[in-house]
Amino acid sequence: MAKQALSWRRAAAIGWRDLKSAPAKFSFVVLSVAVGVAALVGVRGLSEGFRWTLSAESRSLLGGDLSARVFRMPNAEEQAKLTKLGAPGMTGPVRTTWTTETLSMASIPEDPVPILVTLKAVDPAAYPYYGTVGLEPAMSLEDALAGDQAVVADEFLIRLNARVGSMLKLGGRQFRIAAVIKEEPDRISAGAGMGPRVMISNATLEKTGLLGFGSRASHRLLVELPVLAGTGKKADAQVAAVRTQLEAALPEAQVMDFREGNPALNHGLDNATAILSLICLVAMVLGAIGVAMAMHAHLEQRMDMLAILKALGAGSSDLLRIFLLQTLGLGLVGGLVGVGAGIAVMYALPHAFGTLIPFHATLGFPWKSILAGLGTGLLTTLLFCLPPLLDVRAVRPVLVLRRLVEQGPDTFKAWIARWWARRLQLALAAVVVVALGGIAWGLADSAKVGMTFAGMFTAALAVLLVLAWVALRTLRFLLNRVRLQLPSALRHGLANLYRPGNQSAAVLAALGTGVMLILAVYLLQAGLLRDIRETASPKLPNLFLVDVQTAEAEGIKTFFQHQPGVTQQLTLMPIVQGRFISLNGKPVAEMKGEHVPRRMLESAELSWADTIPEGDKLTAGAWWHDPNVQELALGDWVVERLHVGVGSSVELEIGGVAHTLRVAAVFKADGQHLGARASFVLPSGLLKDQPAAWYGGAHVDPKRFPEFERALFKAYPTVTVINIADMLERIESVVDQITFVVRLLAGFSILAGLMILASSVASTRFRRMREAVVLKTLGATRRRIVTIFSVEFSVLGVLAGGVGVVFANLLTRVLLRKLEVGFHLEWKATLIALAGTALLATATGWIASYRILGLRPLEVLREE
Amino acid sequence: MIEVKGVRKWIQNGARRVEILKGISLTIPAGQFVAIVGASGSGKSTLLGLLAGLDSPSEGEIWLDGVPIHNLAEAQLAQVRGSKIGFVFQSYQLIQTLTALENVLLPHELNASGSGLAKARRLLAEVGLAERMEHYPVQLSGGEQQRVALARAFVVEPPVVMADEPTGNLDSTNGKLVLDLLLDRNKRAGTTLVLVTHDPEVASRADRRIVLRDGMIVEDTLFTQPAASEENHG
Repeated sequence: MAKQALSWRRAAAIGWRDLKSAPAKFSFVVLSVAVGVAALVGVRGLSEGFRWTLSAESRSLLGGDLSARVFRMPNAEEQAKLTKLGAPGMTGPVRTTWTTETLSMASIPEDPVPILVTLKAVDPAAYPYYGTVGLEPAMSLEDALAGDQAVVADEFLIRLNARVGSMLKLGGRQFRIAAVIKEEPDRISAGAGMGPRVMISNATLEKTGLLGFGSRASHRLLVELPVLAGTGKKADAQVAAVRTQLEAALPEAQVMDFREGNPALNHGLDNATAILSLICLVAMVLGAIGVAMAMHAHLEQRMDMLAILKALGAGSSDLLRIFLLQTLGLGLVGGLVGVGAGIAVMYALPHAFGTLIPFHATLGFPWKSILAGLGTGLLTTLLFCLPPLLDVRAVRPVLVLRRLVEQGPDTFKAWIARWWARRLQLALAAVVVVALGGIAWGLADSAKVGMTFAGMFTAALAVLLVLAWVALRTLRFLLNRVRLQLPSALRHGLANLYRPGNQSAAVLAALGTGVMLILAVYLLQAGLLRDIRETASPKLPNLFLVDVQTAEAEGIKTFFQHQPGVTQQLTLMPIVQGRFISLNGKPVAEMKGEHVPRRMLESAELSWADTIPEGDKLTAGAWWHDPNVQELALGDWVVERLHVGVGSSVELEIGGVAHTLRVAAVFKADGQHLGARASFVLPSGLLKDQPAAWYGGAHVDPKRFPEFERALFKAYPTVTVINIADMLERIESVVDQITFVVRLLAGFSILAGLMILASSVASTRFRRMREAVVLKTLGATRRRIVTIFSVEFSVLGVLAGGVGVVFANLLTRVLLRKLEVGFHLEWKATLIALAGTALLATATGWIASYRILGLRPLEVLREE
Repeated sequence: MIEVKGVRKWIQNGARRVEILKGISLTIPAGQFVAIVGASGSGKSTLLGLLAGLDSPSEGEIWLDGVPIHNLAEAQLAQVRGSKIGFVFQSYQLIQTLTALENVLLPHELNASGSGLAKARRLLAEVGLAERMEHYPVQLSGGEQQRVALARAFVVEPPVVMADEPTGNLDSTNGKLVLDLLLDRNKRAGTTLVLVTHDPEVASRADRRIVLRDGMIVEDTLFTQPAASEENHG
């Protein structure tokens, strides 16, 4: 008669009884799962909230039903088309309003050193169509911007030490600060600002003289549609119709409508969610590995129980059922704990992001993210636990009678046989890697990213495990050579690393991964920022001028010659607007959808130079000698994207006249000189009679910046100055915030590593207790025992930190080399990482071995 | 000399108080080999633990060479255990991560100054393990592990050795070897030996036999006066 399988219910009951026997050990297992789930639910929950907010408030975020961004105001013909926007069935006219954004200098009379601001001009009677501009003191935007008044961001007041009521100078005009901007609904659609926001009315913008020829201002047309007769709603068909008209009226414009939200923002959100989810997946996988290790150790400790169960008639499948349910139960509880913590993480994350998020997301109950987190947590745990669980099949009931099992010979054949016996586990490991790729695919929504992640992560983990193994073996080798010369507490602590049941290698790999992630992000950040800072040498410009008019060019040059502190004189570069008609005979108008930056071609910024500009390097062809030759030079990145090269033919319209030019040269700009500003350079004869805007670069002694900028602003109030030091500070603060979030999430991996350590310590608790009391029996003091265990935990921490530090430095070196940035060893960060990991490991070890010190010898010895 | 005066030991089990020792008084002169026998649960291991300072009595006094170990602080107790008492367990209780030599060395490192290495090696050789000093406990048989435990108990030359069923887990050959080593120590160095056993044959080799039943001494027989130590007189 076939044996009846153990019912799931009974299996659950046996599994539960077993769980209750070691609550401390299993609570750390639960936490290992919870850490990854918490991180994932937090990140995806926040993303879900953002997405919901973006879609629910898409009109406010856009400022209208539709918007069109252009870099020049429409001509009369285009304007006429705009007045005819409309669709059948609408109850009234389509309303439109323009907003303009540009960079400018601004100062207050008390402190005439100007700062760079992001200026926005609006028609306060119409703007915004949706949402409101929140002001303090509360007032309508129309009142606030009446006459020569402006509203400003908090940051402006702080940086200039100004207050509401102060005067501010913009271009050639004085404004009174009427209020502080607390909320600007379409800030997110308005493009990235390089300085604090200042808002004025369209009517006063013209009077500032800031919008000279060739100004870098961008303009957005906001469109509001009337509701449809009868329905009182706005139908998709009408929005689509008006959108088509808008695209036809302004062919160069970037048109958006509320239905798609903000495509760039959605895309950015998707990318950020994918990257951050994968970082969370690292923590989750580490947690799962921890659970698998704990289950492996648990089963080893339960050998007797398994043998007894088998002797009493249980089959391998029955045992598998018991421990499978146990694992799933632990995974589920861990997942639920993780969901709770994840919701807390979700609410905490916006604080970590700081000003990176320019709008307030409405955070609800992110059930989709919760299901995703819980599902991923359970699946990962199950996948990683299956290989150790399958070991129960190998337990032989004879263990009940005889603890010692004969060991086979140590030959190659025996080695092969041992691996062959584990073939199912090996096959499962391959399945785990593939499944991990699948999970990563799901989280990142990209098969390529998923598979790359799975491949790289498996490889990294394998390398870390090998490094951990090598570190442990080396230490053991050294220990065996010198052990009797070492102080005995140190020797004993070190020997404990090799205690049976200790998961030292796994702890090292997991903790090491966390340290590696955090340190690599830091080292990359430090390397890149150092590169930017170090290249700011006196030979390179540290001050750039924007929006210099042709009439001002000579005067400004003279101004620089007479100013103290100028270490490198001003170089000016002209920019003339042009339009590409065709490339190699193919009309630009037909290039839609070919990943060609069409807008860049249709309003191209051209410059002239009869010798190669400073900072540019010729990579192909030769520069012209005749200033009237029909040729041009292209930046290397343009050549790559447009698939043209030396000898290609280009049709270009300049000032209404079409020219056919031959590509004569290709150059590479170094990114630090003015030359980087222009990617299309022509001979001077073709351009110098055209209206041009000028850009300038110079080096000024940084100590003299304030007085220099004050004098320049006084003489040329409409010229915008971009000071590299200020810019760097801004870049650093943004990079800081981004890397802080990444490091924060990478911190979950460290937490997962610590949980593995804790569960490893808890699972060897009985051994440790016995050891502590034997030591006490032999006359050891409490201090001595503390020293021994502390040596063990801290050495584990130092080794894990060492493995992580080595790997982080290798990784950073490779990545920085790819970015052509030099690598320097960061001693301080490296040492802090080492000491920090040792400290964390020691603290965690002691938390997991609570009460061991206070035990009386007899109570433990009698329990045997 | 060990003096036990009116020692009682109970444990609280919920609302119930379980009495393990119900008033024990005895004196063990230096150099005596005492066997404590009794049925399972009679309290013999508890008594041994109290004599060794591994636990404290609920009531009564225990004096070891004039030191009241019943009311010593933990650190002082550790010192007494380390310098005056060697302990041998039924299940050996070796530290698994240390080699045989390191296990033997451990009490010396904890309690004495100078290198105990030569002495540890000599003791291991004396118990027949000269070739196995660098082995870990897991690589040794039960009898070998117990001999390591003996060497460990002797290394600081304690005046008292306590042994809890030291032959309980061993076959007769190994059991006899271990007992011979303990007795040899008792005879040669005049070490006081207090041994808990089930085995009547082991008990028959003692100078004195104390029988415990239900936490009380029901029989205390002196067979011979302790022999004078060979090391002291020879």
